[in-house]
Amino acid sequence: MIEFDAAMAAFIASSLRSASPLLLVLLGECLSQRTGVINLGIEGEMLMGAVIGFIVAAETGNPWVGIGAGAVAGMALSFVHSALCLGCRANQIGSGLAVMLLGIGLSTYIGRPYVGSAIDGLGSVDPGLFGVIPILGDVLGRITPTVVLAVALVPIVAIFLARTRTGLIWRAVGESTEIVTALGFNATRTRFVAISVGGILAGIGGAALSVDYTLTWAQEMTKGRGLIAVGLVIIARWRPSLTLPAALLFGGFEALGLRIQAGGSNISPYLLSMMPYLASLIVVAIAYRAAISGGGMPMALREVFRQAQ
Amino acid sequence: MNVGNILLRSLRSPATSLLLLPVIALMFFVVVGKPPFKTLFDMAIFAFGGGYAISETLVKATPIIFCALAVAIPARLGLISVGADGQLYLGAIVGTGVALQIAGLPAAAAIPICILAGALGGALWAGIPAVLKVKLGANETITTLLLNYVGVLCVDFLVYGPWKDPTNLGWPATASFAEETVPPHLFGTRAHIGLLIALGASIVLHFLMGRSRWGLTLRFLRDNQRLGEIVGIGYVRQVILVMCIGGALAGVAGWCEASAVQGRLQSGLSLGYGLTGFLVAWLARQNMLAIIPISILIGGLLSSADSLQMFAKLPAVSVVILQALLFIAALGMMGLAARFEEVGHNRGRS
Repeated sequence: MIEFDAAMAAFIASSLRSASPLLLVLLGECLSQRTGVINLGIEGEMLMGAVIGFIVAAETGNPWVGIGAGAVAGMALSFVHSALCLGCRANQIGSGLAVMLLGIGLSTYIGRPYVGSAIDGLGSVDPGLFGVIPILGDVLGRITPTVVLAVALVPIVAIFLARTRTGLIWRAVGESTEIVTALGFNATRTRFVAISVGGILAGIGGAALSVDYTLTWAQEMTKGRGLIAVGLVIIARWRPSLTLPAALLFGGFEALGLRIQAGGSNISPYLLSMMPYLASLIVVAIAYRAAISGGGMPMALREVFRQAQ
Repeated sequence: MNVGNILLRSLRSPATSLLLLPVIALMFFVVVGKPPFKTLFDMAIFAFGGGYAISETLVKATPIIFCALAVAIPARLGLISVGADGQLYLGAIVGTGVALQIAGLPAAAAIPICILAGALGGALWAGIPAVLKVKLGANETITTLLLNYVGVLCVDFLVYGPWKDPTNLGWPATASFAEETVPPHLFGTRAHIGLLIALGASIVLHFLMGRSRWGLTLRFLRDNQRLGEIVGIGYVRQVILVMCIGGALAGVAGWCEASAVQGRLQSGLSLGYGLTGFLVAWLARQNMLAIIPISILIGGLLSSADSLQMFAKLPAVSVVILQALLFIAALGMMGLAARFEEVGHNRGRS
């Protein structure tokens, strides 16, 4: 029984660790989509966070400074999406892909000297008093601080959107630019802030990936996590509380693949790597229509989708 | 029409993006501390100076034209497909699978069979998001993006696993293709018959979109799906049709790339041609003919990446940054032009 508990705890912990960079990006995308902006560029913002975070962590020797620098890098790239969508009224899908391409190019360019180098990372959390609880204590002992940060942000973002005055304005902006403008609020400014916060979270997510999860930098290492986030936000019906299970879907399958591989199975690692993408694809295929017609969709997004039609 | 209107119209035209690229490149070279005019001149010579340079540029332009068409055709129906990369990989897989089976057939039969196999692979891969769209309503942008990653992993799985040629000494690739299956090259260069197929497809599609009943059908359905259903034009059938035609073209690109350019199937088949094709299709404003010159320009940019590395000691990925900056500048200009036009209209009305 103790052995089973330990294996269970290890699996939960590795799912959480794999899911938490995605969870951070998901929360950021959730915020910007709630104000009516789709941002495919978070894939690039995440990469910028990963590369800058890794470089700063490697050079300063302090992973936390690296994660802070990653946040700034993610936000800086998000300004391009804001300038295009809000400033120039460019198409959001086109703009997002342009920002993604810029992020791929810049991060590869900047990160060249660091490919293959490694750092120590943040290490595991000290479970403290919780350590005595079966499974939970074991899980806590195996996760890292960015996992705690990501999971803790879920209720914070949920409460911000649902219960605060600013959150109410953000949701209103996502429903109707006209009404919000008539009430004297600046919808464009709100969206700018939301895209920027999304950039910060994507940057932290990317830095969490390089500084705290893989402990290394490799070009295009985010492997579509940002793009997956755009899809999973829709499936999570734009609710912060549902981003956690959505991220765990991806993280769980990735952890499962790694576990099968570590177990000495002769299934190709490339087939196992497909699992999180196929799982996301299946969930998007099955749940998309219900999510769109479920009433949770911000009205302003509906216009973006109609434009795309 | 006054001067302002003409200026606005020219800002929105595809030709402007061709002029933007040198300007952006000059600014980029200044920022990274390289002599701007000399570096740009070296690049231009490497891309377009002489027969060999031009043939190499056309080698790079060929998959870009195919992938841009794979984006532009669905876009005529209002679909945003970003799946050309995955379709390209699957085209290469099915083409390879058939080529490895039919050894011994004469070239006159084997070459077209393999090209059709590539088209089939791409079409099937594009059919998945199409069916998911019409049956389940799943957004095609998201499903095509996800399928790209699966397509890349499919090739990795095959070339590291069942299709790996043991005589490669650990290098992950299939055996070299038999000569009679490989699409013929043009004039002894690396440019291949895929270029002619791509050019032919662009021209045929241009006339089909502009002149045929089908082109009108797509425009009609794009603007008003429900009305289309009422007068008996099936949206469902058209979604599957445009996605599969686009996918087939991307699939041909994949097979040609694997066979005529690389000689065997290996991982890292595409240099981001899918995303580049998306960019080109949007710069061309989904105009099938405008895709050709823009693809050749971007092909020149990609093929001059080596010259950047050699002469200016800039990493090859610089051309990805230049592509992205070009796309950003063009999107911004198009957006601003549309915005000013709107303002102009409103002023005229009041």
